[in-house]
Amino acid sequence: MLQNDTLARNPLNALGFDSDAGLLPGQFGAILARAGVGKTAFIVQLALNAMLREQNVLHLSLNEPVDKVTLWYREVFQHLAADLQIPQAGQVWEALLPHRFIMTFKVEGFSVPKLEERWTDLAAQGIFTPRVLIVDGLPVEADSRPLLTQLRQLAQQRETPVWFTVRTHRHEPREADGLPPQLTGIADLFRVAVHLDPEGQDVHVRVLKGLPEGADSSNLMLDPATMLIRKGVSPA
Amino acid sequence: MKTNIQKLRNIGISAHIDSGKTTLTERILFYTDRIHAIHDVKGKDGVGATMDSMELERERGITIASAATYCEWKGHEINIIDTPGHVDFTIEVERSLRVLDGAILVLCAVGGVQSQSITVDQQMKRYRVPCIAFINKCDRSGANPSRVIDQLRDKLGHRPVALQLPIGLEADYQGVIDLVEMRALYFDGANGETVRSEPIPENLQAEAARRREELLDTASLYSDELMEALLEERAVTADLVYAALRRGVLTRAITPVLMGSAYKNKGVQPLLDMVTRLLPCPADVEVTALDTENEERPVLLTSNLEDPLVALAFKLEDGQYGQLTYIRVYQGALAKGDTIINVRTGRKVKVGRLVRMHANQMEEIERITAGYIGALFGIDCASGDTFVSPGLSLSMTAMHVPEPVISLAIAPRDHKAEINMSKALNRFTKEDPTFRAFVSDETGETIISGMGELHLEVYVERMKREYSAEVSTGQPRVAYRETITRRAEFNYTHKKQTGGSGQYGRIAGYVEPVEGEEFVFDNKVVGGSIPTQFIPACEKGFRKCLTKGPLLEFPVTGVRVVIDDGASHSVDSSDMAFQAAARGAFLEGYRKAEPVILEPIMKVVVETPTEFQGGAMGSLNQRRGMIVGTQDEGVMCVIEAEVPLAEMFGYSTVLRSLTQGKAQFTMEFATYRQVPKSVAEEIARQAAEAKKKVA
Repeated sequence: MLQNDTLARNPLNALGFDSDAGLLPGQFGAILARAGVGKTAFIVQLALNAMLREQNVLHLSLNEPVDKVTLWYREVFQHLAADLQIPQAGQVWEALLPHRFIMTFKVEGFSVPKLEERWTDLAAQGIFTPRVLIVDGLPVEADSRPLLTQLRQLAQQRETPVWFTVRTHRHEPREADGLPPQLTGIADLFRVAVHLDPEGQDVHVRVLKGLPEGADSSNLMLDPATMLIRKGVSPA
Repeated sequence: MKTNIQKLRNIGISAHIDSGKTTLTERILFYTDRIHAIHDVKGKDGVGATMDSMELERERGITIASAATYCEWKGHEINIIDTPGHVDFTIEVERSLRVLDGAILVLCAVGGVQSQSITVDQQMKRYRVPCIAFINKCDRSGANPSRVIDQLRDKLGHRPVALQLPIGLEADYQGVIDLVEMRALYFDGANGETVRSEPIPENLQAEAARRREELLDTASLYSDELMEALLEERAVTADLVYAALRRGVLTRAITPVLMGSAYKNKGVQPLLDMVTRLLPCPADVEVTALDTENEERPVLLTSNLEDPLVALAFKLEDGQYGQLTYIRVYQGALAKGDTIINVRTGRKVKVGRLVRMHANQMEEIERITAGYIGALFGIDCASGDTFVSPGLSLSMTAMHVPEPVISLAIAPRDHKAEINMSKALNRFTKEDPTFRAFVSDETGETIISGMGELHLEVYVERMKREYSAEVSTGQPRVAYRETITRRAEFNYTHKKQTGGSGQYGRIAGYVEPVEGEEFVFDNKVVGGSIPTQFIPACEKGFRKCLTKGPLLEFPVTGVRVVIDDGASHSVDSSDMAFQAAARGAFLEGYRKAEPVILEPIMKVVVETPTEFQGGAMGSLNQRRGMIVGTQDEGVMCVIEAEVPLAEMFGYSTVLRSLTQGKAQFTMEFATYRQVPKSVAEEIARQAAEAKKKVA
């Protein structure tokens, strides 16, 4: 019941994606937005959704300490719990926690072999086996191709879909294919690209790539205070 | 005694264990002429640092109790509270912070912002204590102040502003460049007592100019005058910069960063200069008390000496001449011979001797005025008590006191020890609100409880040393709790007819889990099916059931009781009858509400070299720990986990052997969580065995 409710409130499901939000194991998805719009809150929502379906989420954060990432989850969950009026929210939260593992690195200290080593360590000791990988804060640009390719190999080996946050800039014009310049030359690596755009009192969710057939993203608005779908806006 | 409040600073020195705060305090006391020789914490002379007044602290090289001391620096009076660094004793840190106006956050230039620094920083945030950071141990190999500054920003969320630049580092560390005055400072003499100011060495000029630019940029956010001066490219005076920085510090918007090596006698005098220039005086800080006769409304206190007295007893110590009570006066003045009231007990007290403390020596004074810290003799009170002038009903805000999570049975070895033990326990429980002692009803044993294994160990040691009370200890016991997991109805009638007046009461309603509360009682009885005068008796009956849960006799928590129906008898109903009915009703509902056992979960933070990360994680996992995450910090890695307290006994030994002694960990209480079924069965078995033994 709770799963169905949360799925209905999940922005990507509301846009017409399936429960895995359009990604198959080993595929990449990107959440793009300018600084401060709510990429992390959005991606944490995707993570919570997977956790509610009992999928283990490895949250990789660059430059944010574990405590801060934990706070993001707590806050987004509290918004979600209030929105869905989940009874015994504390117990649900406790049950979700074992499905999340946070790993943080300094941007300059991050490398795919290092991640692979840590990942292997976790799995070998039976501590945690991720089913979804979230990468927040990794600078994704045209010249990140070698790193992303390595990461994709790892994701394919481990059969894990990967969601990235990608920071865009206000002054940069979109490319001819409608994608922001950050994805130039690497767009082929991403199966799905979603852009968050502040519009007046709302945040508009636009699917730039990978929109399922027949779906329409024109009227999906999020509340910037919670990054949840605006109340009263019926999911597609 | 002076009473110029503008020139008074009440400061604390907070830090991670082994960051060198006791050494720093020692140097401060030396340069301010309060002591005439320097002894190191683990020094070879066997004297130990002055602030580590307890023998045990000297032996372990750590500081447990905060000692208050007083010194003077360039016309300013400074009261220093040396605070403990270990997480088990954080109540001491919290209490100190409550009475401080500012703090020095000591960070190790090698270790940087460590787990305990984070805890201490959170406490400073809670009490809104402005601080300046001192990066110590710049002479150690691996010292890297810039990394520590980055960590202050990233890990603690401060806005650090470096006021200095080191001249050399590690073995080559010579002194600092003052970025406000743009001078190089060196510390000469056998104990670094002479500060030599020289022009900045040529090779550091460009770097210093760049850093000064950054400093001015940040400072200008807090002063329009400075901003204008910078925009118009006018000369900027040091006073203008300090005034701007001070404004930023007072609102906790910025954290000025200084650096040095207390052990090598470098950088301490400039730190004292900044304490007097940048940290607030008592008048800069808004303090409120609660009006106990007016629904605890907050009342703003003044630092006016003529106003009635409001003072807080923040620490007790058992001295040679009886109880010594550390006190901070917030309003008015406290003089010898005054009559004051303890707000908690309502008792009148006459002030006898007043003293100012210097570690374990003291100096007699006539009065303590608003803003000052002192100590008084011969007053019987508990920590956290408020003292006021007669006629006033103000209480300082209640301090946050966590519930104990671990307990230990202790037994005196002989009769002499028995008497001393009770004296010691009486003292310790008064001094430390997180430490409790009681006699178990069932076993007759004396049980002590506190915030961690080390916390209790230290008190057992202190009993032996300070009170010569030899005690033997049992196995530490975890404070389990019980709660329910679903809603369940009850409808219970208590009826007794055994000649004479009978007993009758019926209570119906339901119990359900409630989050974040111990117990909630809701009366929804309408139409007088239970007469109003018996409702308090019902609540009392339910409350009584909480101390010993029906499942395994652990305290019950997180229960909401709603009563919505019942019945009474005109003759046979009484308070007693309804209390008994409530007990029966609770048992009936509780059994159906799927009760479970809860156990304390600790937040454990392990700092380990990366090569041992796997092993350390494995060790936490084996202890039923849930690893929240790992933080990669170059050569070191921080693992955060939540582990049941029951599994953490002896963990320090395990971690040491796993990591060749290179890892360390801290733990603090996080939450209560349901015990897994297999463990619950084991707890039930042990409880049954213990019961059999008693019988």
